[in-house]
Amino acid sequence: MKRRTPITQWGCILLFLLYMIIPIIATYMFSIATRWDRTILPEGYTLEWYKTAFAHSYFASTLRNSFIVAFSAVLLGLILVAPTTYWAHVRLPAAKPLLDVLTILPFGIPGVVLALALIRIYSFPPISRSPYLLIGACVIFSMPFIYRPIANSLGAISVTTLSESAQSLGANTWQTMMRVILPNIMPGILSGCLLVFATVFAEFTLANLITGARFKTFPILLVEFTRKDGRVAAALSVISFTIAWVVSLMILWTAGRGSRSTEEALHAR
Amino acid sequence: MAYLELQNVSKLFTEVAAVRDFNLSVDKGEFVSLLGPSGCGKTTTLRMIAGFERPDVGEIFLDGVNITPITPNKRGIGMVFQGYALFPNLSVRDNIAFGLNIARKPKKEIDESVQELLALVRLKEMTDRYPYQLSGGQQQRVALARALAIKPRVLLLDEPLSALDAVVRVALREEIRRIQLELGITTVYVTHDQEEALSMSDRVVIMKDGLIEQIGRPDEIYRQPKSLFVASFIGTANQLRGERVNDHSINYHGTILRLPKNGFGGHDTAPVLLVRPESILLHAQPPVLPQANILEGTVKTMTFLGAVMRIVVDVDGERIVVDAPAGQDFSISHAQHVWLSFAPEACQIMKE
Repeated sequence: MKRRTPITQWGCILLFLLYMIIPIIATYMFSIATRWDRTILPEGYTLEWYKTAFAHSYFASTLRNSFIVAFSAVLLGLILVAPTTYWAHVRLPAAKPLLDVLTILPFGIPGVVLALALIRIYSFPPISRSPYLLIGACVIFSMPFIYRPIANSLGAISVTTLSESAQSLGANTWQTMMRVILPNIMPGILSGCLLVFATVFAEFTLANLITGARFKTFPILLVEFTRKDGRVAAALSVISFTIAWVVSLMILWTAGRGSRSTEEALHAR
Repeated sequence: MAYLELQNVSKLFTEVAAVRDFNLSVDKGEFVSLLGPSGCGKTTTLRMIAGFERPDVGEIFLDGVNITPITPNKRGIGMVFQGYALFPNLSVRDNIAFGLNIARKPKKEIDESVQELLALVRLKEMTDRYPYQLSGGQQQRVALARALAIKPRVLLLDEPLSALDAVVRVALREEIRRIQLELGITTVYVTHDQEEALSMSDRVVIMKDGLIEQIGRPDEIYRQPKSLFVASFIGTANQLRGERVNDHSINYHGTILRLPKNGFGGHDTAPVLLVRPESILLHAQPPVLPQANILEGTVKTMTFLGAVMRIVVDVDGERIVVDAPAGQDFSISHAQHVWLSFAPEACQIMKE
């Protein structure tokens, strides 16, 4: 029997990593290259494309709009989904399968279909074609991303017993939620927030169809530039990655501070 | 009215009565166990006392007050769960202090209580550890300290030791009983382990299929079981079934056995004679004991149980279990023909 040597194993991992990282590195290099269409490596380096990007009249506003939509989707998702998931888990276990299906449904709907359907139904002012409709669409679209991690976290801890335990010690529902349940499902909540932020920030189809030019988001600007000037598009892409990474790190850092023991507890089990 | 009183309590789960007509009076400071096989309703009863289940019929009173409509967090009960249910995100100290924090006690008082309780359950060195760093037995002691911190009026324990290994279980049950006696807390303890129930309790409630079979002190339950179920659930008991010959004897597979004078069921045509394994003596030769009941049989199995040697003897196709002290110096071998003797007064007559 052929033994897999460490070289083969490491070779596979390396190949995979390269496959994943090369496009990102290439984009980064393209964004700082003077010219890179006829040589293996860029002919020269410059920050000119970044300057163009930053100087663009819509840069600040699209960035701001994307942040608004992404954060709103995270907040709304949390407010709507987290308590519902908790309630279904603890009080109405019969509703769990229903929730599982409902929250998976958005995956089956192509963005275009969702956008057009929403535009059709909510065709009255002030919602019609407004940022509010866009945010609503993003909340629906990102529901699986916030639901799954929270549901999984709730499953990993015995919510009912912990809740009853807290109650037997005199805690009411609110105190139970805030002092016992929330801290223990924080990793799940934070993963969910992260996923929602990343998906909504990068969402193009919904934004393009629902609000279009009226409320431009960052991806819209990026796509515009892919048609005008690929180098500035590359710069915008790099900015997009960086934002996603920074927000991830921030969320993970906050998570690390608050729930290290919970993480360890869940891993130790 | 007793300190804790359950009156005519019943609970139905979709047509199946989990608990039926449950009546119990528990005095202040008493340790009562609910004992029975799985599914007998003991945990449901405990949860009704705690408030996590609502009785469909009947009421529960604590210190004269009807607590049936009161939510669990306002009943003043302390509960220890089977799976410990310690809060993973809090240290041992914070777990124990949880109830006191909820009650907004002053910090000094909380710190003192926590220290006292840690000393009580002998876990002072573990103050800053987290639950995942503790063993099962240690976690259970923290759970106990946490429940006691709020000075509950009733302490409820739901099979707290079933997840622990045998040695830890025995040590912990002695600790729990010691602490309970020291603090004088009224306690209701649910278990399916009869050894636990008998060794810890002031009184035991035997349950089967949602009904109470018998309530009594451990020695009462053991020596005077009121039904065959109780007799066979508690300890081991040989059930000898024969045809009644007259008022004081039955015909058991051809042998006449004398009945005890104090048994009930005296007029049954087919009474069951109950005799405990430790009451039977084993003989290698036919014994000369005119007052005793004597049976003959062959040795089928011998099991060494430490303090006793459990010998199963085949008497005319029936299995009789005899417990002989392991120190007894006689050599018995498999398939050996032996004689069993036991005094009529060591038996009990039961109804089928």
